[in-house]
Amino acid sequence: MDLPSGIRNYTYDRDMAIFRTKTHWSMLLILFVILGTLPLYLDNHWLSVANLIGITIIAATGLNILIGYCGQLSIGHAGFIAVGAYTSAVLTNRLELPFLVGLISAGLLSGFIGVVFGIPSVRVKGFYLAISTIAAQIIIIWIINHWESVTGGFNGIVVPPAKIAGITFVSQGSQFYLIIGIAILVIFFAKNLARTRVGRAFIAIRDNDLAAEVMGINLFRYKLLAFFIGCFLAGIAGSLLAHWIGFMNTENFRLTESILYVGIIIIGGLGSTIGPILGVVFIRLLEKGISFLAPTLESTFDLPAGFTTGIGPMVFGIVIILFLILEPRGLAHRWQLFKASYRLWPFSY
Amino acid sequence: MDELLQYIITGLTVGMVYALIALGFVFVWKSSGVANLALGQLVLISSWFTYGMLVQVGLPAWIGLLLVIIFAMALGWITERFVLRPLIAQPILSLITITLGLAYLIEGLVNFIWPKSVAALPHIFPQQTIHIGTAVVSMEYLLAALISLVLFILLSLYFRYNRMGIAMRATADDQLAVQACGIPVTKIFSRSWMFACVLAAIGGVLMSSIGGITYGLVHTGLKAFSVVILGGLDSFLGAIIAGPIIGLAENVGGGYLTPLTWPGVKDVIPFIIIIIVMFLKPYGLFGEERIERI
Amino acid sequence: MKFKKVLKIASIVCLALVVVVTSIIGTACGGSTDTDKTVKVGFSICYTGVAAEKGRPMGDAKLDCIKYINEELGGVNGYEIEVIWRDNQYDASKAATIINELMDADTLMFTTNSSAMMTASAEIANRQAFPGFAVFSTPALTNPPQHIYAQMPDYGDDWAAFANYFLENIWAGTGKPKMALHLLNNSTGAGAKAAAEALADDLGIEIVSIEEHDATTISEIDSITRIMAQEPDILYISSTPQPTSIIIQNAVEKGLYPGVTIGCGHASFTSVLVELAGADAEGVYGVFPTVNWDDSAPAMAKMTEYCQEYHPEHYGNMDYITSWAEGLIVAEILRLALENAGIDNLTPQIVEEQGFKKLDNFDVGGLHGPVSYTPGDNRLAKSVRVFQVQDGEIVPITGWVEAPKIPYQFD
Repeated sequence: MDLPSGIRNYTYDRDMAIFRTKTHWSMLLILFVILGTLPLYLDNHWLSVANLIGITIIAATGLNILIGYCGQLSIGHAGFIAVGAYTSAVLTNRLELPFLVGLISAGLLSGFIGVVFGIPSVRVKGFYLAISTIAAQIIIIWIINHWESVTGGFNGIVVPPAKIAGITFVSQGSQFYLIIGIAILVIFFAKNLARTRVGRAFIAIRDNDLAAEVMGINLFRYKLLAFFIGCFLAGIAGSLLAHWIGFMNTENFRLTESILYVGIIIIGGLGSTIGPILGVVFIRLLEKGISFLAPTLESTFDLPAGFTTGIGPMVFGIVIILFLILEPRGLAHRWQLFKASYRLWPFSY
Repeated sequence: MDELLQYIITGLTVGMVYALIALGFVFVWKSSGVANLALGQLVLISSWFTYGMLVQVGLPAWIGLLLVIIFAMALGWITERFVLRPLIAQPILSLITITLGLAYLIEGLVNFIWPKSVAALPHIFPQQTIHIGTAVVSMEYLLAALISLVLFILLSLYFRYNRMGIAMRATADDQLAVQACGIPVTKIFSRSWMFACVLAAIGGVLMSSIGGITYGLVHTGLKAFSVVILGGLDSFLGAIIAGPIIGLAENVGGGYLTPLTWPGVKDVIPFIIIIIVMFLKPYGLFGEERIERI
Repeated sequence: MKFKKVLKIASIVCLALVVVVTSIIGTACGGSTDTDKTVKVGFSICYTGVAAEKGRPMGDAKLDCIKYINEELGGVNGYEIEVIWRDNQYDASKAATIINELMDADTLMFTTNSSAMMTASAEIANRQAFPGFAVFSTPALTNPPQHIYAQMPDYGDDWAAFANYFLENIWAGTGKPKMALHLLNNSTGAGAKAAAEALADDLGIEIVSIEEHDATTISEIDSITRIMAQEPDILYISSTPQPTSIIIQNAVEKGLYPGVTIGCGHASFTSVLVELAGADAEGVYGVFPTVNWDDSAPAMAKMTEYCQEYHPEHYGNMDYITSWAEGLIVAEILRLALENAGIDNLTPQIVEEQGFKKLDNFDVGGLHGPVSYTPGDNRLAKSVRVFQVQDGEIVPITGWVEAPKIPYQFD
């Protein structure tokens, strides 16, 4: 369907492959070359933005599996990211375990807690479920704040840099390889998940959970599995975030952050692998662009008081509103249209 | 026992204030199924507008408050007409996200127009403390609770007997069927946003006359969400009863649990209750249980 | 549909225009300043977001102050200060990218307003030995001392200073005074709690109750009720103005106050508190590390002039003073570094060695306590003053009180 005309598949293997044409493979190669050499021509600042984008992509992909594929609305994602961040921080700082142990345990613990708070999903759906995930976030943050002997409480906790096999990831460039490497793994995992039995079960549940149950899909198991995978990825992202910033306190994990995550994947486009990536890149770059806007304008023109503080959120809000009015199905939809028109050019059908 | 009385009285009055803000949320939900994430910001901008009218312009209270109501209605109309209407018939999540965009926009506007970060509103109510036994409650809270109750009764009557109110309920139930009956759905949406904004404005004025205008108002708006869920998203009765329940849980629960657990347990208790309610009654205490068909 | 098409074209044009204009302005500015010799500093300001209540007056104040230094004093030692400021929106991940940006932009040092944003920047800065200071800080930032400094005594020092003042001047009873703590649920509250835990026994104060509140609280009657049951002599609040005003009002309603002594940390104690709490705040004590508006201090006239001209809405807000002082300290650090090392040798590390560490009794125009560096103690100013609300005004009742370094146990 997405292929140019004239491409035929003679084996099932070929039919199932993600990358099917030479163009696909060469595009992938070019992408890897660009990503691999990025630290050579970006400075630390833009690398740090790229790192933030990478971390956000991992978390957003997890959320997309939960919301976009399985249809379980969660507005507590930042809480699960916090679980991952603190697990990794506590294990590597206080117990001095290796980074990889911290990373994996962060994912597992976060996934497990996700399952616990996902249990209401068996009975409730939609916005009711969303509120129970908000409750999850608030309870998680409260526990982290008060379990001082372990988490450091309000004073926060120092997180040592990530270290794998003697390589310490301190500079933004080295962390970039770590983060983007994991992000690529996660994206491939998500892409493939959607094509397996599990992924199809998720989609069936999203489209109509009663019908899915009638078809023999165990709702309880699959809904909780979706929570586990979504929160596992949140935990991985949290661990990377903790080692990237180097100091954690719970003020980094506010409810507004969770809401923004939902916004990101909706702007990107639900239920596609490319959606969260586009959404994250769009939102993070927009935020970055806006952070230049006020200082630049202020140094050039004589502005009234309040302008500097007001312009940022205002532009951000207007762009989101305009964007959704013009493209309510998200960037991924636009991307599909673009691909289709490119493929069919110069004929429109 | 003295303490218990105090906790109960405080819980009830504070809960009614939560319920007041929650009403605005329910209004939009009930007619269009949109969760309004900009609720807190609507509360914030109405409070600042009140400040602008009463303190900066110096109008007498009654003209000022009248203008605030008019302003809120205009705000609701503009919001619905220019932000939400273009998205009719689009996925509901896109609608919810657009209210997030709206939230940022309003926040920016507030910063823009009122660069001052904190302000006190003149007290609209007499500042008296009423003693009930050993317990105290301030006049402000009592009146706020009363206003909330009156509004609740008015709204219930409106939804029950007014043609427009009935049309709103019908719209929430089935938009297509309502359109087929010749009811102008867009008009209903616009009306419900105007009402929601007015309710947010009233809530904002009451809260900021008690505690001053700060960014924290936004988060109190978020807390109202929890009230709504406990009550059931589509129920006025739910909101008005769940408010006091949340207030009571916070105060009584916090009162007796704080010495046993960590401090700040008060802020978590409502959410623990929500999780429990989710298990027992998935549609909230008074929410309408929907029977699903394939 | 036609409407949408017009909207689409219009918004794309607008976006393109904004991008073009911004980049043109950006390059134009960059080009013009590169030719002059300037010293660059970075400010990471929480202009928007949940802490905007404090971030806004502080951000405006430091930018005004640098404007004053550049325009009227001709910069420091003849070199103009070039400011690169970014709004971190009180968001840790944004703060982390901003600190990288500031380091890339060859700034010599950086500052943040809040302790939370400094913690998000501190590790990245410490790893690169990039010096900076936070205006408001929590003990965890400067213990152990690394490359991050604190402009003012932290929330813990406030507690210690107030406790000392109370014992010496107010306490007339016998035995140990009982104190209840009412803390904001973030590092503002945690700093005071850490100090209370470290020092209360030595000072002879009994902590009878620790309550916590949220920044969004609308009623604290319940916690006041619990506090009353413990019959404390002192209620100490470490919070921001709005929740503090709620606590004080509720204490008055419950009849707890007047009766006990109420003390506030510096994050609570600004003119906003008096505005919000009204007559109820009468007699409340507070610790603050700067002077008040209209006090006589050499820097007061210029500060008032700039505030009135550019940001009249902040007049009377003590946060403006703290950040005006911040601007002066930045200038002083740069002046010392320029004098000791010369413009051509300046790197962030040299600014730390020759600037930060050479600070010696700089008086900050009389705006706050003298600023000096003592090895092993990364707090720059170490003294606070105790104020009291009298007739609706915040009145200083002591001179500068030295806040000793508290032996914290952080890992």
